[in-house]
Amino acid sequence: MSSMAKQAQQRVGLLQGTLDMLVLRTLLYGPAHGHQIGKHIQRTTNEFLQMQHGSLYPALHRLEQRGWVSAKWETAPDRNREFKYYRLTDKGRKQLLVEESQWKQMAEAVARVMWPAAGES
Amino acid sequence: MKWWQIKKRDADLEQELQSDLELEEEEQRENGVPSEEARYAARRALGNTTLIREQTHEAWGSAAFEHLSQDIRYAIRQLLRSPGFTAVTVLTLALGIGATTAIFTLVCDVMLRPLPFARADRLVTVEEKVTEWSNIYPTLPVSANHFSFWQRHSRSFDSMTLLQQFPVPLGSSDRPQQVEVMWATPGIFSVLQVQPSLGRAYTVSEGQKGNEHVAVLMYDLWHQRFNADPGVLGKTIQLDGAPYTIVGVMPRSFHVPSMQWSSAIGETDRSRPVEVLAPLAFSKERLAEEMGDLNYFGLARLNPGVSVSAATADLDGLQHTISENLAANEKATLSVALTPFQDTLVGNNRKPLIILLAAAACLLLVGCVNVTNLLLARAVGRRQQMAVAAALGASRAEMVRMAIREIVVLATAGGGLGILLASGMVPAMQRYLPPALNFRGPLHVDWIGAGCALLLAFIASLLAGAAPALMISRTAPFEVLHSESRLAGESRGNRRARRALVGIEVAVSVALVLMTGLLTASLVRLMSVDRGFTTERTITATLELPGKSYQDDQHRTAFYKTVLEHVDRLPGVEHAALASGLPLDGDDWGDMARVQGDSRPDTQLPIENVRWVSPDYFSTIHLEVIAGRIFSPGEWGKNLALVSEKTAKTLWPGRNPIGRQFSLGNPATEKPFTVIGIVRDARTVSLAKPDPMLIYVPYWYRTEGTAGLMVRTRQEPSEMADTIRKTIWSVDGSVPVPEVRALTGVVADSVANQRFEMYLLLLFAASALFLAGLGVYGVVTYSVVQRNREIGLRMALGAQRASVYRLVLRDGLLPVAGGAVVGIVLAFGSARMVSSLLFQVSPYDPAVAVGAVCVLLAVGTTACLLPARRAASVDPMRALRTE
Repeated sequence: MSSMAKQAQQRVGLLQGTLDMLVLRTLLYGPAHGHQIGKHIQRTTNEFLQMQHGSLYPALHRLEQRGWVSAKWETAPDRNREFKYYRLTDKGRKQLLVEESQWKQMAEAVARVMWPAAGES
Repeated sequence: MKWWQIKKRDADLEQELQSDLELEEEEQRENGVPSEEARYAARRALGNTTLIREQTHEAWGSAAFEHLSQDIRYAIRQLLRSPGFTAVTVLTLALGIGATTAIFTLVCDVMLRPLPFARADRLVTVEEKVTEWSNIYPTLPVSANHFSFWQRHSRSFDSMTLLQQFPVPLGSSDRPQQVEVMWATPGIFSVLQVQPSLGRAYTVSEGQKGNEHVAVLMYDLWHQRFNADPGVLGKTIQLDGAPYTIVGVMPRSFHVPSMQWSSAIGETDRSRPVEVLAPLAFSKERLAEEMGDLNYFGLARLNPGVSVSAATADLDGLQHTISENLAANEKATLSVALTPFQDTLVGNNRKPLIILLAAAACLLLVGCVNVTNLLLARAVGRRQQMAVAAALGASRAEMVRMAIREIVVLATAGGGLGILLASGMVPAMQRYLPPALNFRGPLHVDWIGAGCALLLAFIASLLAGAAPALMISRTAPFEVLHSESRLAGESRGNRRARRALVGIEVAVSVALVLMTGLLTASLVRLMSVDRGFTTERTITATLELPGKSYQDDQHRTAFYKTVLEHVDRLPGVEHAALASGLPLDGDDWGDMARVQGDSRPDTQLPIENVRWVSPDYFSTIHLEVIAGRIFSPGEWGKNLALVSEKTAKTLWPGRNPIGRQFSLGNPATEKPFTVIGIVRDARTVSLAKPDPMLIYVPYWYRTEGTAGLMVRTRQEPSEMADTIRKTIWSVDGSVPVPEVRALTGVVADSVANQRFEMYLLLLFAASALFLAGLGVYGVVTYSVVQRNREIGLRMALGAQRASVYRLVLRDGLLPVAGGAVVGIVLAFGSARMVSSLLFQVSPYDPAVAVGAVCVLLAVGTTACLLPARRAASVDPMRALRTE
C-alpha cells in the first residue's frame, strides 16, 4: 500500500471520531436536519474545519446505526416540506459525555507536551 | 443491514442529499450569488456524492456484501470478455464434477446408504459350508432340514427366513403374464421388520404345506394390476395355476432386493422386481432330506448385542450336531458362513464401482490441472494490469481476491452444470446396476450428491486457483513495470510449474488410458474366446410352463416335443432344440454321478452340472461331439447320456467312457445311464471360465418348467421372433414366453456389466486425453508466443525450420514423456486392484502399456505441431522489431 493512501486514511480516522462528537454536541440543542447540523458546525468553527456537507452524512448514518441518534422525516416548522430530522437518544447523550471526556483528556495531554511551562505554572 | 433494505435506504439517502443541495443553493442565492453559479457552489459545498454514498453504505455495514456482488459482477464481466476460455473451463469442470458426482451417487446408494429396513445392520445372510465340496462350492444355499433345526435350537437370532425367488404365471386366461414371486417362510416379516399396510402378513400356520395358498401383494403390482383397490383383500388370484387368497398389501416404501443365491456356476441376472410375497412351504419329504436340498437363500436378524462371529459359532455348533447324525452314505462336515446383508448384496460389484469412482476423480483432477494451467497463462498475461493495480495501492489481499473471484465464479458455474450433468447420467447408469443392488426405485442426485458436487467445486477452485493466486500476490510492481520489454517471457519458476502441471495431466491420463486399454483388451478377448458353440442365425426363446397344468415330466415332455415338431416344420428353420437353459444364461441343476462300483458316500462324489437337452441341441448351437454319437428320437425313453471331456476324464480317468454306466440319485432305485458320446469342453456357463463338469441327459428323462428354445434359421433370425411366439402359443396359449431374442444378444448380455464399465472408462479416458492434449497445446503455444523474439533471432542467425520444429517439440514433449513414465508407474502400482477384473490379460501387459504411451505421445505431438508450425513461420525481421 502506498504511503499516501495510508496518510489519507489516518486523517479520515482522526476526523471521524471528532466529527461524531461535534454532531452529537450540536444535537444537544434539539432535533436538526443534516444541512442545519453542517451549517452550525461550520459557523461555530468559523469555517475552520472547511468540511464539505457531504462528509456529514456517512457520520450521521453511522451514529444512527449505533443507536446514538434517531432519525425521522418531519415537516419543517418554517416551511412546507419534509426533512430528515435527527435527534439525540439517551444512549447518544451518554456517548457524548464519554467522547467529551476522552477529548478533554487528549487535549490536556497534548497541551502538556506542547506547552510544558503553561502546564506547570 | 439486510441487503433487500439497501435499495430503500439508498433512496432515502438520495433524498436527504438532494434536500441538502437545495437548501444550500437557496442560501447561496439569498447571499446574492447568481442562480447558475449557486447550483455549482452548492455541489462544491456538499462534495462527491458517490463517495458519500459509498461511505454511508460502509456505515450500514453492507460493504462486505457489496464487495462480493461487485466481485461477482466484475468476474462475470471479465469472463464474458473471453468466452472461449470461460466455456472451456466451465465445461471441463462440469464434466469432471458431473462424472464424479454421478458415480459417487451410485456408490453412495449402493455401498454406504443403509438398506431400507429397520436396524439393517443386524441383517445377515446365511450360507452353508460343506467341507467335502468346498473346492467346487465354497458356500452353498441353505437346506430346509437344517434350517428348521436351527430355528428350534439357535439362540442368536431374533428371526430367520428362507427365500426362493422365481417368476410364475399370474391369472388363468390365455397368454398370462409372469409375476416375480418371492417365496418366503413367514419369518420374512419379522426379519425385515415390516408389516403389510393393508391387510395382514401370512401366519406360521399358513407357512405349512397344505395351508400355503395365501399371497401378499407388493405395492406396485397392487397399484398397476388391481388399481389400488382396497377391496382386493380376500380375493383369489391364480399363481402358477393354483388359487391364492390375497391377505395383504405391502407399504409403498417397501422394496426387497432380488435375493437369488448366485451359485458358483453361472450367475443369472434377472432384473425384475419382486411383485408378490407368498409362503415357501416344505413338504414332509423335503424336510426329511438331510443333504439333498441345499437350495434356499437364508436371511436372518441377529438378536441385539449378538455379533456375527458369535452367531456363526452358535450355528456351527448346531451344524456339528447335524453332521454327527447324518447317515453313513451322506457323511459330511457342515458349518455356516454369515455375511452382513449389505455386503452380500454389494458382493463383487464393490471393485468396479470403486475403480469407476477413482477414474472419475482422475478426470476431475486432470480437469483442475488444466484449468490451473489456463488460469496461470491468463495471470501471466495480466501481469501488467496487476502491477498497475499494485502500484496504485491495491493490497495483497485485494489482489488475491481479484485472482480468486474468477475461479470461484467458474467453479460455481461448473458445479451447477455438473449437477445437471450428473442428474442426467444417474438414471442412465442405474439401468446397468446389477438387480441385487437396484431395488430401491429410481435413483436421482439427492442432497448428498449435490453437496458432493459443491464440495468438489470448492476443492476444484482451491486446487485450480491456488497457484495463480499465489503468483499474483507475489507481483512486484516495480519489476514488472520496469522490465524492459512487454514481451519478456514468464518467469522460470512459473514455466516449470506449468510444465509440471502438464506432466501430472499426462500421468493421470496415461493411467486412465492404460486401464481402459486393459479392460477393452479383456472384453475383446472375452468376446472372441473360443466358446465352443456358435451363435450365428440363431434365435432363442425362454418358456415358463404353468406348474398347475404341467405338473410332471410326462406332461412337460409331451408339450416340449410338440413345440419342437411345430418349430421344425416352420420354413427357414435349420435346427431347433430345447434345453434346461440357454447358453450363458445360468444353469442350476447340480447332481452327483456315481460310477458303477463306486461306493463312496454321496458327499465325496464329484458334482456335475446336469443339463437336459433335446437331441438337436448339439447341432443347433454347433457344440461339438468329439466321440460317440448323440441320442436319437428313436431311442425315446432310454437312459442315455453324453458327458463333457472334463467329466469323462474325472469319472473314468485313462479309460474310454463310451458304453460305461453311471447313476444319478439312488443306484438302488434309479435306472443307470449309459454314456454314448463325449462333448467338447466349452464355455456355455460363463465366458470367463471353462465349463465345469457337464452331463447331458435326454429331455425324455427329465424336464423342468423353464426351458430355453434355440432355433437355427436360414434367414435373419430377428424376423422369426413373432413366428416363434405364435408357434408356441398355437400349442398352448397359456404358456408365457417372456423373452425372444437372438443368441448373439444373449451372449452380449452376459458381459453387459463389463461392457458398461468399459464404456464409462472409455469416456473418462477420452475426456482426459482431450484435456491433456489441450493442456500441452496451451503450454506450448504460450511458450512459442513468449519466445517469439528468441525464435526470430535464431532464424535470423540461420536456424532451419526443422530445427525450430525440433525446439518446440522438445519443449512440449518433455513433460509428456515424463508424465507418461510416472503414469505407467502409477498404473502398475495399482495393478493388483484391477487384475481380478481382467480376463486373460495381465495388468502389466506390455503391449497395452506401450499402446497407452503411444496414444499420449501422439496426442502430445499433435498438440505441439500447431504451435510449432506457427513458430517455424515466424518472420525474423518482424519478430525482432516488435517491441
